[in-house]
This record gives sequence, C-alpha cells and structure tokens, in this order.
Amino acid sequence: MIGKLSKQEVILRRAKESDAEKILDLLLRLKRLNEEFDPLYKVAEDASTVGIKYVRDAINSDDCLVVVAQHGTKIVGVIKVDFRKRIFYEPRSDAHIVDLYVMPEYRRNKYGQKLIDYVMKEAKDHGGIVTVEFPSANKISTDFYEKLGFRPILNTYVRHPVE
Amino acid sequence: MSSVSQEEAETKKTSELSLRLHEYYKGKIEVELKCPVSSFQDFSVWYTPGVAKPSLAIADDADLSYEYTNRGNLIAILSDGSRVLGLGKVGPYAALPVMEGKSLLYKYLGGVDAYPIVVGTETAEELVRTALYLSPSFGGINLEDIEAPKCFSVLEQLRKDSTIPVWHDDQQGTATVTIAALKNALNLTSRKLKESKVALVGAGAASVATARLLFLSGLPKESLIVCDSHGILHPEREDLDKLQLRNPWKYSLAIETNGERKKGGIKEALEGADICISAAAPGPGVIKPDWVSKMSKMSIVFALANPVPEIWPREAKNAGAAIVATGRSDFPNQVNNSLVFPAVFRGALDVRARSITDEMCLAAADSLASYAEVRGLTDTHILPTMDEWELYTYEAAAVGTKAIAQNLARRTKSESELRDMAYRKISSARNKVKVLMKEGLIPNVPG
Repeated sequence: MIGKLSKQEVILRRAKESDAEKILDLLLRLKRLNEEFDPLYKVAEDASTVGIKYVRDAINSDDCLVVVAQHGTKIVGVIKVDFRKRIFYEPRSDAHIVDLYVMPEYRRNKYGQKLIDYVMKEAKDHGGIVTVEFPSANKISTDFYEKLGFRPILNTYVRHPVE
Repeated sequence: MSSVSQEEAETKKTSELSLRLHEYYKGKIEVELKCPVSSFQDFSVWYTPGVAKPSLAIADDADLSYEYTNRGNLIAILSDGSRVLGLGKVGPYAALPVMEGKSLLYKYLGGVDAYPIVVGTETAEELVRTALYLSPSFGGINLEDIEAPKCFSVLEQLRKDSTIPVWHDDQQGTATVTIAALKNALNLTSRKLKESKVALVGAGAASVATARLLFLSGLPKESLIVCDSHGILHPEREDLDKLQLRNPWKYSLAIETNGERKKGGIKEALEGADICISAAAPGPGVIKPDWVSKMSKMSIVFALANPVPEIWPREAKNAGAAIVATGRSDFPNQVNNSLVFPAVFRGALDVRARSITDEMCLAAADSLASYAEVRGLTDTHILPTMDEWELYTYEAAAVGTKAIAQNLARRTKSESELRDMAYRKISSARNKVKVLMKEGLIPNVPG
C-alpha cells in the first residue's frame, strides 16, 4: 500500500513543537494498545489534555529526545527518549526509550529500527547505553527488541498499597 | 410477511422431527465391517495370529498403513465445539450431533469414512497437539466449528507440521465453493476478477480464507474492501494495534486491502463495488436494498448467512443485482460447503496427499464451476446441486491431480483413474445405504 504513496521518502528528523498534536495521536494509539496488557494501563480520560503538555515539554527539553518519521506531510512514526543519569554505575548515562510507535501500514519496513538507530547514534555521543521499557506481556515488543540485540535487564513488579 | 412465518413454522417442524429421529436412531453413524466373516476361522486371518504379518510390514514402512488398513479412507472430524453452526460456543458434547451429521455427508457424498472426535480442550496449542497425536490413525483431519481467530493459527500450524492433510471446512470449504460460484457469476456478467471491485462483508473464518483465494485467483489486494462489525478495515483504524496482537490475519487484510482508503460501514463498502460477498450476521436487513442499488450495474451479491441471508434475494434483485446467491437450498444458487468437502477429501485420500493447498482448493472450485457451466449457466444456475452426485467424482479427480502436480501425493494416478476410483467409492457408499434400508437393517422412519 505505501508503495503507491512512497514517491516521497520517509525521512527521520528531530520533532518540532508544531508536530506536537500529530505526535500525541500516535502516542495515544500506543497507550491504548497498552490497555490490552494490564488493567493498570487503562488510559485516563484526560490523557489528551495532559498528553499535549507532555509532548511539548519533551520536544523542548534537553533531557529528552523526540524523533519523528515523516512521509509527505504525515507523521508516521515517533520515538521519545529520556536521557538518564546512572550515578552508581558505568557507563554513567542511559538513553531510555519510553515511547516508540510506527503507524501499522509503515511497519515491516524497518522504520522502527531506523528510529532506534537514530537514538543509538546520540547515545554513542553521550557514551552511554540504550534501554527501553514496555509492558512485560507485549510479546511483539519483546520479539522486536530481542531481534535488535536488546536483552532483559530490569524487572518492574506492581501491587496496590495495603488498604 | 406470511412467507416468513411459514418458513419459521417449517423450521420448527423440522427441528422437532430431528430431535425425535436422533433419539430413535441413537445417532447417525456406526462402525460396519468391510471384509467377509464366514466362520470364526476367519478371525485368525483378520486378527491374531495372521494380523502380525501386515503389522510387522507397517512397522518397517509406516506408509504401508495405507495399504493394509482403512487409514487411507478414514479422516477425523475434530472439534472443540467453540463455534458450532450458528449456535456459538456450545461445547464438545453438543457439537457431537453436528459432527455426526458431517460424517454422514462425508460418507454419502464422498465415500469417505469420517469419525467425529470432539475434545475437551480449547487452546490452540492443545488442539494442534491433539491433531498431531491422532494422525497415525487417520488419512486426514477435518477441523470443524472452531472459533476465529484460533482456527487460523491451528490450521496454519498443522499445515506446517502435519504429514496428513488438514482442512478447516469453515474456512477453506466455504471459500472454495464461493470462488466456484463467483467464477460463473463473473462469466455471466462478462467481468474479469482482476478488474473487479470486491466488498467482503464479515471478517471471520470464511471471509479471511475467501480473501486469500481471491488474491490467488488474481484479484489485486487494493481492489478488495473488507468490512467487519466495526466497519471497513483500513490501515488507520484505531483498533489495528489490538488486531495485530489478537488476529494478525485480519490485521494483514486491514493493511493490504482498500486501496481507495474508504472509511465507513457496509453502505460505503458497497458503493461502486461489482461484487459483494457477505458471510456476516444473519439478516434480513443487514444489507439494505439501497446500498445494493449503489453498486455497479449488473452487480453480483452473495448473501451467505444462515438461517436468514443478509438481504432477501428478491430485494437484492429488485435493487439491481444481476446474480444473487445465498446459503439456503430453498433459493436458487445455494453456496454450500457440501459441494466441496466430500470431494476434496476423496481426492486428497485417493492420492494419499500430505496436505491440502490453496491451489488444490482452486482446482476444486474450477471443477465445480465447469460442471455447472457445461450444463448451461443462467442467473439462477451458477452452481450444481448436491443431487448431481457425479460432480464429486470430477472434483475429487481434479483435487488429486493438483496434489500430484504439486508433489504432495504419496502415489500417482491419472485423472481418469482417480475419477473411476471416486465413482466406485461414492456409489458403493450410496448403494450400501440403499441395501441396508431395503433389508430393514436401517429401520424405516417411524410414524
């Protein structure tokens, strides 16, 4: 299908503030998918309102990196990374992928991988590692990241506090 | 209106009769002998010590089980009862009468011994494992009434792992007979599939398989529009991520079809379409006459839901459809799996096929379409009917021949040999019933 549209190439670039709303659309799709994996990932009613601030802040922050894949005028993929300090460990910095989403019909074309490569380069400049978080029940993500050479390093467990 | 209530009364009468007769006959199938027993001396040939000889021969070469046992004419009808007819998830016990009915059709129409195996498990993995464990007993496996999307993964896995042919009738049977009917409908309306626009209404087992056979028959993927209960499938639909997770088959359709990027429901899907194939919810009124009138001229409408088609044939015709087919025998052009599955397994078994491919399905569809064509196509005759029973012999031979051509057969026969074999086996099955009825060994229907 994208064969037809793809007179123009898909380009990767850093996000601008004017991309914020389109990026939010993609992120909300990702968050709604997460609902499938655990009831604690139920998307909040005001997600779009708080989400737009989240996206704008990330775009404007030096502690984050937001990169988009653009096809024509459409934003078809996004990656959002938080740069974190690892004060007790070497290497000292971590480019942590919080969100990665590619529109369904653009999948299987390696745009996800290219977005990660983009982050990898930045991480290399920082001399750090790249980590990623996603719901443990998401098998598609597990397969995807393991294929790209990632391995599990951290468990996150959850329970409600004692009532 | 009166005709509808008449139909309802008729259906009720049939149901009550069915219950009474099932009780009277205690089911529909039993095991009969196929070798002579004149005295107890014969047992030493049929059983121990004589039987050791064929047994040891098979121990050396498992394929000899086709020569020395009934395995080569025996299939399992395997079901978990998770989606039985229009009844839904009724479970394995309740599925049994349906599976026995299927067995009856296999024997009477195809000369195939088909044994019902209903199982108390529901996971795809266990169904696959069960089928694999059972395969030394059988020459093939018919998966039946297993819900989507589980049925897709079970069939896909077994098509890879099983050394005997596995068939899921709700997918492949329905798709094959649909393609046969469509071939003749295209012929009558002077259309080519590759230049046609097709709307598939419903995205269940039958529709997913039909889409696959349509593509294999030359329909460009972007010329197909698929509509499920949430509307037209398209790549930007909100639920696509969930589909990728839960139903990758439907997900692929969403990504690959609908070149025009249409959005909306059945109404929008039908606008400008040449062909509507609906295997969705029972009607009437699921498809509105107004929507059919917005299709292209001389349109083709297959409304296949049972017991009531998505639109009554007369309504579809009045709205401009040139050819209408349904799943029912009381309307012209019945698109019925029973025209396909007995012959597919007859052909697959007679060449001892390792699997049943989509190409073999298309060979069956071609044979079925030609059988109707040589008897004269009209808008009310695009398919033969079950009582033209010789059609099964041609169809079986076509399936067997395709299996040989695809290197999937354990033995080679000419097409005419295959037809003769099918003829002998099917007429023998029919004659046995006749004789048993005549002798009173199958008692007459009481009352």
